[in-house]
Amino acid sequence: MKLVLSHPAMAALALACSAGLAHADTGKLLLTGGVSTIAGSAGGGITPWAVIGSNATEGEVGASAYLTHAATQDYALTGYGVAVGIHDRVELSLARQDFDASPSIALNGIAPFGVTPGQHIKMDVVGVKVRVAGDAVLDSDNWMPQIAVGLEHKRVHPGSLQPVLDFLGTKTQGTDVYVSATKLLLDKGLLLNATLRSTNANQNGLLGFGAAAPGRKSRSLQPEFSVAYLLRKDLAVGAEYRFKPNNLQALGAAAGLGAALREDDWKDIFIAWAPSKNLSLTLAWVDLGRIVPGITHGRKQTGYYLSAQVAF
Amino acid sequence: MKSTLITLGLVCSSLPALPALAQNTAPMSTTTAPAGLYQALGETVGITRLMDDFVNRLMADPRIGSHFKDAKPQPLKDSLTRQICQLSGGPCQYTGPDMKTVHGEMDITKANFHALVEVLQAAMDAQGIAFSQQNRLLALLAPMQRDVITVR
Repeated sequence: MKLVLSHPAMAALALACSAGLAHADTGKLLLTGGVSTIAGSAGGGITPWAVIGSNATEGEVGASAYLTHAATQDYALTGYGVAVGIHDRVELSLARQDFDASPSIALNGIAPFGVTPGQHIKMDVVGVKVRVAGDAVLDSDNWMPQIAVGLEHKRVHPGSLQPVLDFLGTKTQGTDVYVSATKLLLDKGLLLNATLRSTNANQNGLLGFGAAAPGRKSRSLQPEFSVAYLLRKDLAVGAEYRFKPNNLQALGAAAGLGAALREDDWKDIFIAWAPSKNLSLTLAWVDLGRIVPGITHGRKQTGYYLSAQVAF
Repeated sequence: MKSTLITLGLVCSSLPALPALAQNTAPMSTTTAPAGLYQALGETVGITRLMDDFVNRLMADPRIGSHFKDAKPQPLKDSLTRQICQLSGGPCQYTGPDMKTVHGEMDITKANFHALVEVLQAAMDAQGIAFSQQNRLLALLAPMQRDVITVR
């Protein structure tokens, strides 16, 4: 798996081919496969939903691929990946994130970490999701949501920031486990999602997993919510809120850095447009709160998020 | 005739035929028609026009048109009109076979069901029916998937 992940494009190709990308005719309703999250699973932008990615419904196999870019005051993230949907039951996904962590050069002022200028943090995510019950769209006469369980195994490649992660006592691998419930209130055109995630990731894993004492090493349960309103069958607007752990702050405070390592919840508002069955575009405004505020003047990271997905 | 029944089944299932998904699944509302939907669909005249176009589109659809190749268009349109009229709260009455019975022998996938929804959406768009009203009708029809889809 390590070899595969070191070549995401090849991995994507292999995964897509092995799953039968060429499947001729797949039949989900527009936008009901969600868009691609930053971790590669199907859902909103920052939180997975119980929907299975791709256009494939029961008895079909489909695939999707995406490219996402987000930028805030001090950071930027580029992500891409693929997902395969099998019989609207199982979703397999691969994602790579490339995080521009240039402000981290300032960490050299705290200790001689040897962080190089323009350092990027890269992270690979392997995802698996299984739908366990329900149909988010068609069960419109009851409150039963579609329910799925999933995991995201993440491996971060911090480059010259490795000594910083070592200092923080964070691991470079971690696995998030989650359960999602998604319901489309069809008569109102309103989609609701709630996800509960078990995680010890710092900033989604980009700053490693867990922390040395007195930071928090262990997992915690973090809820995530999405709401989307269908303006047309090809156009949705919505908002998301993702609670996050704050594993590192106590460690930073103990090191005399105050709230320099504070982590905040993420939120966004988005508009998603599907000009065809095979293409969706998502534009969002994101508020990622503080991300290592000690090196970014303590300011909140807000900005844009743009994502394109092709699906078959 | 067989195809006629399929369509009737697809679109016109009587609401009491809905099988409980599970005992612990609370129904979202009673089975009374949503207020104002019949009017929003243009009453009998509008629904007749809608079903005329809908059936024409169904028969021409490359994905599911073959399911209707033996169907007689006009009786199908008439039946569907009565069904949608009743379902949406209009003064119509339909008594016909339940969907489970008529679909037992058919090969209908979820993709087929979705395709039919898309054809209906296109027909409603052509009639200028507001998207929000379309969704109210679709919400009444969608649960029929449990009886209609035979290939799981």
